[in-house]
Amino acid sequence: MVGRRRIREALTDLLLAGPATLAMLVLIFAPALIVGVLSFTDYLFGAPDFNWVGFENYRKLFTDETGRRAVVNTLIYVAVVMPFSIMLSLAAAVGIQSVGRWNVWLANFLRTAYFLPVAATLVAMATVWQMLLHPNLGLVNQVLALVNLPGQEWLSDRSLVLFTLAVIGIWETVGYNLILFLAGLATIPQSLYDAAEIDGANRGWEKFWTVTWPMLGPTTLFVLVVTATRSFRVFETVATLTNGGPGFASDVLVFAMYREGFVYFKAGYSGAITMVFFFFILTLTLTQLRIVERKVHYQ
Amino acid sequence: MKKFLIAAAALSVFGFSAAQAETTVRVHYAHPNLWKNVQEKIAQGFMAENPGIKIVLDAPAKTYAEGAQELLRGAVAKKLPDIAYVGLNRWRILEARKLTVALDPLIGDPAKFEAMGYTPALRSLGQYKGKQYAVAASASTLVIYVNPDLVKKAGGSMENFPRDFDGLIALATKISALGPNIDGVWVAAHDWRFQSMLGSYGGRPMNEDETAITFDSPAGISAATLYSRFSKEAGMKKYGGNEARQAFAAGVLGIYIDSSSYLTRMVEGAGDRFKVTVEPFIVAAKDKSSVYFPTGGSAIVMFTKDKAKQEAAWKYMLYATGPEGAKLVVENSGYAPTNAIVLKDKKYLGDFYAKNENSRRAHAQVAAYSGPWYAYPGSEGVAVTDLIGAALVEIVEGADPAAKMKALADTVRGKLNMK
Repeated sequence: MVGRRRIREALTDLLLAGPATLAMLVLIFAPALIVGVLSFTDYLFGAPDFNWVGFENYRKLFTDETGRRAVVNTLIYVAVVMPFSIMLSLAAAVGIQSVGRWNVWLANFLRTAYFLPVAATLVAMATVWQMLLHPNLGLVNQVLALVNLPGQEWLSDRSLVLFTLAVIGIWETVGYNLILFLAGLATIPQSLYDAAEIDGANRGWEKFWTVTWPMLGPTTLFVLVVTATRSFRVFETVATLTNGGPGFASDVLVFAMYREGFVYFKAGYSGAITMVFFFFILTLTLTQLRIVERKVHYQ
Repeated sequence: MKKFLIAAAALSVFGFSAAQAETTVRVHYAHPNLWKNVQEKIAQGFMAENPGIKIVLDAPAKTYAEGAQELLRGAVAKKLPDIAYVGLNRWRILEARKLTVALDPLIGDPAKFEAMGYTPALRSLGQYKGKQYAVAASASTLVIYVNPDLVKKAGGSMENFPRDFDGLIALATKISALGPNIDGVWVAAHDWRFQSMLGSYGGRPMNEDETAITFDSPAGISAATLYSRFSKEAGMKKYGGNEARQAFAAGVLGIYIDSSSYLTRMVEGAGDRFKVTVEPFIVAAKDKSSVYFPTGGSAIVMFTKDKAKQEAAWKYMLYATGPEGAKLVVENSGYAPTNAIVLKDKKYLGDFYAKNENSRRAHAQVAAYSGPWYAYPGSEGVAVTDLIGAALVEIVEGADPAAKMKALADTVRGKLNMK
């Protein structure tokens, strides 16, 4: 009897998880495997045949100037976006939460305002940014001129463009992280704050360091992982605003992947970039989960 | 009598249905916002004249780049259409993969073909190594869009618009000096624009048989120097195409150099603010016969290997690129015609040109100076065009044009295994 029940349970499990698993295997793992195999060839999209080239595509990605620049640019972008978007969203979350204590309406309004960039289509928003940052007509430079500061060519100055995109990236991720932090803040029991107060932590900062920050550990870890993967995947702003230019100054991994594969038709090389990208994301996620998780669990 | 009637009826039904189902030609095209109307009108016009052939238009691709991807995917899946409209700089991608059919057997006598309006300049747009693989269907070359109000304010006049680069740069410098937010001139740091300037000086990017890079010739260095002078003397900004068009439409950019196919958009963008005026691009070389302007636009290629379909498809290609098709293209798209008959014979576009002076100037330039838009061969062919763009950006930013072009040419030679 027990055995029969087990089988039935197993069948139910299979029925529940099976279709999604199958879809994942067919739609994600199989194509990823094919891309992995292609990355060792010189296959050109639409070509009748290809040659095996071993690690040539990978060697090129890290030695060729254009390839290396895409890798370095991506790392710079992530290094700027991650800390700023996390710090800003945490500060905003703590602020909005305390605003919520005396004015719920305002807190809701702020929350919606911060979340708008996440809900809006980034491509459409990018067009708005393009107008704002226009060197002659844009609002940003006009405001700068009002206070006698020189205008900048935000999207066409090679030393500036990556940071402009990073600021847009921060603007885009802050709202998303904010919602996560707010959810995290809501789960901190009031009793902990009361206890801290009894122990002498009266000022806001003391409460933050002794209660809020440690209790937000799991949330922060999650936000870290999400922000890292999101910023590694940066593509829409690059594709709509700069096309990787001027002169490859804002070329990033995913855009290079698209360009090599779909504009240059170099499926093999594009496959190699995809693999490197996979590897980055995988290591990042694993290290964060393995190392950081040990230090942030309290239950 | 009865028997005869039945037989006749049966015969006519049979004959009718046979004619109906005789041949279907599948057509691929891109840029529906530009082409949808034109394609439908061409197909309807053709089917009315040729009841035995059915034209089926595939769902269009958004851009020529996406169209090329779609066709390559179609080749892998063995679902290629019979013919396709592709970007003039992209049909070689399909030819290199041996997907396209050489059209010479269908053309037959070249003299007769030429008499149908296909001049050598127009034929050259679809030729490679002496064979015709594509027939141009629409064309555009680099022209100068001018804001006459700014020119006047800067002390110039449209009647005496400069016809050499020194004059153009001097005018742009004056316009630029009108105010901190007024720009004199803009041109994209881009392979096609560069090839146009190179052609204006009589240079070519590669030698005839495409085994050597030649854009570091004196003509190439002169062309690159233009970028440097635009920037240093006339204060050209580094912004991208979208920003430049916005600035031009807003009336803060005096001279915008770009493809003639933007004409409709530029006029719409400027609205009532000023009257957009098109000037032909500058011919710099002393020997005018060496000058050519690389031509953008589209061409039709054939994929079908089936003899009966080839006949029908070829008929359609001739109709679409003939006077009737060319007239539709010009009236609806802003592109220049690719058939010499419509330019010579006033009955096709005489009225249109009388009303559209800007189009007439742009199209006259295509007829006079059109030449192939060189696509670099091989797997790195498209990639090197971005390297050229990047080098031009550095020149705009102050790099020495001669040194940069020499270095670039060496890099490109290495990538393409050329001399």
